Amino acid sequence: MILLGKIALGMAGVGLAGVGLLCSEGFVQVKVIEKEPQGRHINLIAPAILAPIAVHFAPQRDLAQAAREIRPYLPAIRAALDGLRDTDDVVLVEVKEPEERVQVSKSSRSIVVDVDDANETVHVSTPIRAISSTVEELATATSNRL
Amino acid sequence: MREIVRRRTQIATVLCLLAAARMAPAKAAPAEKYLHVRVEDPTKGEDVSVNVPLSMAEKILPAINNHDLHDGKVSIPNAEMNGVDVRALLDAVRTAPDNEFVTVKDKNSDVRVAKANGNIIVHVSDKRDKEEKVDVTVPLKVVDALFATAKGDELDIAAALRALSDAGDILLVTVKDSSQKVRVWVDSQNTQDSGNHDRREGSEPKAGSDR
Repeated sequence: MILLGKIALGMAGVGLAGVGLLCSEGFVQVKVIEKEPQGRHINLIAPAILAPIAVHFAPQRDLAQAAREIRPYLPAIRAALDGLRDTDDVVLVEVKEPEERVQVSKSSRSIVVDVDDANETVHVSTPIRAISSTVEELATATSNRL
Repeated sequence: MREIVRRRTQIATVLCLLAAARMAPAKAAPAEKYLHVRVEDPTKGEDVSVNVPLSMAEKILPAINNHDLHDGKVSIPNAEMNGVDVRALLDAVRTAPDNEFVTVKDKNSDVRVAKANGNIIVHVSDKRDKEEKVDVTVPLKVVDALFATAKGDELDIAAALRALSDAGDILLVTVKDSSQKVRVWVDSQNTQDSGNHDRREGSEPKAGSDR
């Protein structure tokens, strides 16, 4: 009985550690609302740690182009993410047109992109830490290839 | 017994003081400065706002090495300086009293370059289109920083940004024409609400009144 209890406790511990690991980099949220009468409403929330893991396990040949394209900008991207981490919440860019509004902001340690046009509303929120990890995974993929 | 109570009171007092010292900010950190750009085109109903924390820009600039930009400095080929010793020119401007240095007026345009309240002010207006006006105000400290550590044909943009952070709230550029209005300014606000805008325009550096 005691042994079973220990096993259950161990499994619960492993489960909790897994959940903790999954949540460690926050969550990516993608919300799409189509404005048509029968339009779809999509609300996806996923652990942000999946992004760098996906890049890590993605076939190298599929990442080749992305890795090649991102490489010259890596120092600037790293510096930008580093700078963003330290700043207060701020609307970085806002573009308003008669039928479209785009906003890119930093909000609570995440980069948030909001697009609102005649057809749909899109909201994407990604933790800066997850972006940073994903970029580093891509950088590693680049350096491994060279 | 009294001794024990006294010692405990002393220990509690010391702990309270330590806690208070830890909670109190060691030194008020300077407020973050933001570089704001706003482009408005009422005829098309377009409005673009950009807010960049200067500290972030200071970190990004040295990381960009592309074309003429490297290590936070931008190279300007000698040809574009047209043989003018910019450092000597700036030194002359720095030591000169507030004054209007250049005034060009012809039937089509009005150009003025002046120094006032520690700023270099450039004003250009096109008389053909009465609404076309360009005003540029640059603190001399920022101009100094551009050239202070740069070699020959370089401008130290990163140093200029640092100087801009220390320069206080300032409206740097306004461009107005019949359809568009462009403004570039620095302040401690992380938003561009219209109230701040109007106030800022009204509190343009005193040099603006010379225009």
